[in-house]
Amino acid sequence: MSTNLLIVAFERPAIDWHAVAPEIVLLSVGVLITLLDILFLEKARPYMAALSGLGILATAIPLLTLGIDGTERVLFDGAYVVDNFSLVLKAIFLLAGYVVILLSTNYIVDGDYWESEYYGLLLASLMGMIMMASSRDLISVFVALELLSIPAYLMVAWRKRDPKSNEAGLKYYLMGVFASAVMLYGMSLLFGVSGTTVLSEIADSIDAGNGSSSVMTLGIVFVVAGFAFKVSAVPFHTWAPDVYEGAPTPVTAFLSVASKAAGFVALLALIFVGFYELSNIWEPLIWILAALSMTVGNLVALRQTNIVRLMAYSGVAQTGFMIAPLAVAGHSLSTGNQALSAIVTYLAIYAAMNLGAFAVIITLARRTGSAEIDSFSGAFHFAPGLTVAMTIFLFSLAGIPPLGGWFAKFEVFRVLATSGETWGYLLAVVAAINSVIALFYYATIARKMWADDPSEKDLNNIEVTPSLVSALAICVLVTLLFGIFPQLVARFTEVSLLAFGV
Amino acid sequence: MALLIYQRETGLKTMSEFLRNWLTVLIFGGVGILLVSVFLGLGSLLRPSRDTPQKRINYESGVDPQGDMWSQANIRYYVFALMFVLFDVEAVFIFPWAARLEVYGLFGLVEMFIFIFILALGLLYAWRKRLLRWV
Repeated sequence: MSTNLLIVAFERPAIDWHAVAPEIVLLSVGVLITLLDILFLEKARPYMAALSGLGILATAIPLLTLGIDGTERVLFDGAYVVDNFSLVLKAIFLLAGYVVILLSTNYIVDGDYWESEYYGLLLASLMGMIMMASSRDLISVFVALELLSIPAYLMVAWRKRDPKSNEAGLKYYLMGVFASAVMLYGMSLLFGVSGTTVLSEIADSIDAGNGSSSVMTLGIVFVVAGFAFKVSAVPFHTWAPDVYEGAPTPVTAFLSVASKAAGFVALLALIFVGFYELSNIWEPLIWILAALSMTVGNLVALRQTNIVRLMAYSGVAQTGFMIAPLAVAGHSLSTGNQALSAIVTYLAIYAAMNLGAFAVIITLARRTGSAEIDSFSGAFHFAPGLTVAMTIFLFSLAGIPPLGGWFAKFEVFRVLATSGETWGYLLAVVAAINSVIALFYYATIARKMWADDPSEKDLNNIEVTPSLVSALAICVLVTLLFGIFPQLVARFTEVSLLAFGV
Repeated sequence: MALLIYQRETGLKTMSEFLRNWLTVLIFGGVGILLVSVFLGLGSLLRPSRDTPQKRINYESGVDPQGDMWSQANIRYYVFALMFVLFDVEAVFIFPWAARLEVYGLFGLVEMFIFIFILALGLLYAWRKRLLRWV
């Protein structure tokens, strides 16, 4: 085999330039930012945020043309695929990245942090995410995962002089590397059994009878556990609260939305393209992860006094909701497709509402200088607009109609309830109980902001920067729009990864 | 349990077959240990033994060790170590490419230049931010 490879003449791989145009544009912008930093040093600093924002918008243009074109493009022998699923997720990543840049603008300037590097790393991480959305091969999944994680480790420790930020960076790094190692071990086992790294060929190998191998089971368990770290599902969530608290808040927003979505994308690609047939192995695993994440996340969130930690645990609980449809996805092909659509819908809506909540937290914390929930009491007296926006996001996260989060939760329940499996119904009951628990702590924050007396005397209206206003506007608009016209988001998230067709 | 899995994977039927396979491992390990101890043992019997303080120092022919072993290293070493990794990895990718340069042709050349350009940006960055100076 290896001697053959040496003799065969090299054939230039046919590259579909249109399909990789978004990646190339984003890479060019990243290189441009580094070059400008090298050439002009401090003089280029004030333009970096705007430039990276424009870069993300420029990346969206080829994405749009690809979406209009609508054909499925397969590159590099199936290792890299541009289909509707990947396009929708790339759009979510870009939107999340754009909002995070809007959130970062003033935060990074005020803190006198390194600015050019910050945006360079943010774009690098984003690059890893949009690569992840297209990866259909163990190696490209892993490369994309490292590309999105390594800049994130650095960004978490960006508040260099704060020991808490350093602690967060170190914890995130160690846990992330550990998860990567576990996952890589699992991948090596999968490769060992199937003899290929392309996910669709692994599926063929399972069809051919390799699925009964115990090594295959072990590989799947390890890979799922590795991604459970990335999406912070219980019992792999322990890093999340400390990292979220220590990291600069815009980075926390980025991690809790974009990084989590990237973990989900890879998990979905692996499960639906790679080992869909082995649902008897991954379904129970996912069921336990989902039930534990919802319950533990919500119960611990009840006792939090720091809003960022609370958002971390609420994020863990939301992960449970997002992952829940996967627990019945192997039941039949149509259930599988519905589960995939439900998860993608949830990711899109969750991105908007969670980023919005963080935008409000960043703005209010700038004023109050603290992230304790009590310091937000009576926010209505000095920030009425922000209080209204925060209420929208919180109730959306809790799943109250007619906000976006309601439709996301509705889709999850629909999949669980129509699967026709006892385990599906059981998980729906767990999810329903947890929705009630979640409403309690979300509503407590809202009540404090509306009804309590402000703790400080200064009642002048809070000053909100234009970039934060636009970030909030985007998030409120998306949250409301998707809640009132759910068919809008459903039209985009009607995607399928199952090759058999239904 | 291990035996059951092993039997299913390899198709071995009996316990003795299973054990005979492991016997190979045992013999191999035993021979390894034996060889090392015989050579070291023979050496200690044959060589003259003249102990001097010089011979007791770590790194006999290197720099004299000084001070406490818990002393702090200069953080600059770390930066240089990182820069080393940058070029080390670059080399790992360039060697196989260089060995088959004519096969890859112009396409390979352009690809490699893009790769080197992006990595060189890292070096340029370090140089411009004065990280290469040993102040």
